Amino acid sequence: MLSPRELERYARQVMLFGEEGQERLKKATIFIAGAGGLGSPVSIYLAVAGVGTIILVDNDLVERTNLNRQILHFDRDIGRRKTDSAGEKLQAINPDIDVRVIDATIDADSIDRLVGKADGIVDAMDNFPTRYLLNEKACAADIPFFHGAIRGLYGQVTTILPGRTACLKCIFPNPPPKEVFPVVGMTPGLIGMVQATEVLKYIVGSGDLLANRLFLWDGMRACVDEIALENNPSCSVCGKNRNSIRVEK
Amino acid sequence: MRVKVRLFAILREYLPKELEMELEGGATVREVLNRLFGMAPALRSELTGEAGVLKEYVIILKNGRNIDFLEGPETVLEEGDAIGIFPPAGGG
Repeated sequence: MLSPRELERYARQVMLFGEEGQERLKKATIFIAGAGGLGSPVSIYLAVAGVGTIILVDNDLVERTNLNRQILHFDRDIGRRKTDSAGEKLQAINPDIDVRVIDATIDADSIDRLVGKADGIVDAMDNFPTRYLLNEKACAADIPFFHGAIRGLYGQVTTILPGRTACLKCIFPNPPPKEVFPVVGMTPGLIGMVQATEVLKYIVGSGDLLANRLFLWDGMRACVDEIALENNPSCSVCGKNRNSIRVEK
Repeated sequence: MRVKVRLFAILREYLPKELEMELEGGATVREVLNRLFGMAPALRSELTGEAGVLKEYVIILKNGRNIDFLEGPETVLEEGDAIGIFPPAGGG
């Protein structure tokens, strides 16, 4: 049940999807992988929207070079654990939700324990090896996976629904090279907003998701494009011949 | 036959974001790439590495399907096909 305080807090969005939708948000658990450029806006907006449980995982310290985009972290947080800095801000933004921050590395050994029984996994990582791991977990455990990535003024988003859409490995079979990527804060801000909107729609069950659709943002030209996607029937993760799934449901 | 080619992200710094190409019947993705390199030689280094081999992470989609799962650059095209080319973003 929503408290009178919650009904007041969420009054403007209850106008959109009713108390039932708000209840669904309250009951939802969303796992956010990364408290950086994408993780900041995604977690802030899911927190204010009233997602009942937010699990936020990161293993880094706040550095000065993060501050042009990672808006959960302030100048005074330099040197702190990102999870400490993020947990404090998110809980202050919305004390009515449960914010669980975990200072850990997401790897093959830890992923089952970290993700648990989350209703959705948000990709807010800065590298593809961990993204692939999250994708495998999502596919094995049938959890929706909200992919986002950015570089410079460009970014991409898609929503992966295991068994129904192309998975991350179908779309990106090979990872882009690891690099210190150029970025301005607006790009992960915008891409994170698209991801968070997808999560919201998925939970309340309204609208059309970016299922088998790759949303591409071109900030240099201020234009959005969309590419239709298809799954790869022989994908090693989600296809008929899958054999490399290490994560069991 | 005519195919539509869409370029994304940094590739748009070399050519327009959308092109139509007139190709011989039976033409492949490789011919589309060679045509693009002819129009904008700098694209070659964006998309290919040593010995002219396509960079593994560059995504080329034929009607939404990654050509890695078709015949790669030798994938044969048909009238009306849509080819999308982009280097994915990896940051977060």
